[in-house]
Amino acid sequence: MAVHQKRAAVFVAEAENNADTESSDSELEFDEEDEIRLSEPSENAIYNRDGLLDKLEDISWPENVDWIHKLSLDVNQEQEVDANDDLARELVFYTQALEGTKEAFLKFQSVGCPFLTPAGYSGAMVKNDTHLEKVKDQLLAEKNRVEEAEERRKARENEKIAKEVEAQKLREKAKQEKEEKRSARQLQKERQESGLSGSEEDGDIGSADEDKSTFESDPSVGKAKDPTGKGKKEADKMRKNRDYRNSKHGLGRKKGMKKQSKTETTNDTIGGFKKSSFSKNKRRKA
Amino acid sequence: MGKKRKHVETVPEIHKEQQVEQQVVEDRTKYDNQTHSGPTFRNKEKVLVTCSRRINFRYRHLMLNLVSLLPHCKKENKVESKAALNELVELRSCSSCLFFESRKETDLYLWMAKCPTGPSVKFLVNAVHTMEELKLTGNHLNNSRPLLTFSSSFGKDTHWKLLKEMITQIFGTPKDQRRTTPYYDHVFAFSIVDDRIWFRNYQISCPRTEAETIDQEGLKKMTLVEVGPRFCLNPIKIFGGSFGGQTLYENPFYVSPNQIRSSDKKQKAGKYTKKVKAKIRKKMQELSKPLEEDEFADTWED
Repeated sequence: MAVHQKRAAVFVAEAENNADTESSDSELEFDEEDEIRLSEPSENAIYNRDGLLDKLEDISWPENVDWIHKLSLDVNQEQEVDANDDLARELVFYTQALEGTKEAFLKFQSVGCPFLTPAGYSGAMVKNDTHLEKVKDQLLAEKNRVEEAEERRKARENEKIAKEVEAQKLREKAKQEKEEKRSARQLQKERQESGLSGSEEDGDIGSADEDKSTFESDPSVGKAKDPTGKGKKEADKMRKNRDYRNSKHGLGRKKGMKKQSKTETTNDTIGGFKKSSFSKNKRRKA
Repeated sequence: MGKKRKHVETVPEIHKEQQVEQQVVEDRTKYDNQTHSGPTFRNKEKVLVTCSRRINFRYRHLMLNLVSLLPHCKKENKVESKAALNELVELRSCSSCLFFESRKETDLYLWMAKCPTGPSVKFLVNAVHTMEELKLTGNHLNNSRPLLTFSSSFGKDTHWKLLKEMITQIFGTPKDQRRTTPYYDHVFAFSIVDDRIWFRNYQISCPRTEAETIDQEGLKKMTLVEVGPRFCLNPIKIFGGSFGGQTLYENPFYVSPNQIRSSDKKQKAGKYTKKVKAKIRKKMQELSKPLEEDEFADTWED
């Protein structure tokens, strides 16, 4: 027991040592890409506000400078944006810039300065034409890709729909045919009944005929009690049966298996199969 | 002691450092009735743009993009060390500097400094997308003055105010710069998200019916197309002097990329030790809570 306790103590000590190093790692949180933020600000961060304000006054331009020199605009941005959410972040930047330009435009109007480039102005641009060609090609290629994908998807769906429609049509046709057959049989039956009722004066013969005919022509007996058309299917299946085929065309391939030692063949003569007319004929006649 | 310069100086004090001044030119304190500002204010801002050696291709393209965006900048060859930068800036008679420092060929630090006396900031640059990316489809006139938009969060704290002022002066093109075109067709957007400054550059595109004026209708249909480049600045420290000096501000949430990489490696290295620990823990458990005797343990023994 003592040995066990000692070992446990050693294990505990090791675990404690390792726990310390782990806790220091847990302070760091992973933010975006390779950047990490400390969860608590470090204690020794300098923040010399007075010094900063001094420097700000040093470098800033005088108060009454025209806005046209600075061209800077402040846009209200109240919402907290998550830096990792790309779309939302870009949207915030975009709206900020857009509002800024609208304000700037109003200011320009009040001062009377020209704002945007006039329609016919041609000047050197920041990106040259070859680069813009590449951009255009890329955009076109992407648009084509998207369109092709759409077309393929639509074609697939159309195929599906077309198949369904066809299947439906076939089903309806089959239904119709059945209905017609049934109605035809009904008519026949009625006609026979009415015909029989017309010739009832014949007496017994007529009644016997009636029975027979009703029995034979009664559609619910024997033949077609299948509104779903399964009887036809079963007939088809029977035709594909092995036994049926064998009966029609013989035993098929297995020619090699004809000569076999079975109970039936034990009495076949060893010496050969020369027919002695004497014995065979006897059997046959019997 | 900060030297506070007043905008009206009857008896100007001439100091050596003020010779490279950008603001009020002492000899010409005229009161111009046409302009609203008192004396003629001339923005003589010039920015020196350089990088360190062994810079990545992507960051080099970013620097070149910025050079094309700022018509009031001067591009300089690669510099070996930061120490000579102040002299270089003065040599080229520039008043500010953008220095791209790349470390280990993966990290990019951007120094924004007002020379010779002004404050300087060191940023860590992330999420770089250059103008050559095919998804950024906009285009604007070369050498046109940008409109600068800032989110309202820039006014909330002192260091943001200072940064805003520096950005306005460095990224805003002077009005009477020689190379500028008189039209305004692109806009910069600086926003603060997650304690970082995000930069975007958009082209203003407006469908227009008449030649000159844009009415309210046109204003509603105005759209912005992104031109690029894109980057994200994480401020590390603000210094009182140019490329050095007293630390005025330190970002409490900043973790250097080296630390990130080392912590990653430690985590990976800890796999095997964790396995061993888990085994030991399991043994301890078994020892502390012994199993009950199984009645049926020897039923199959023969």
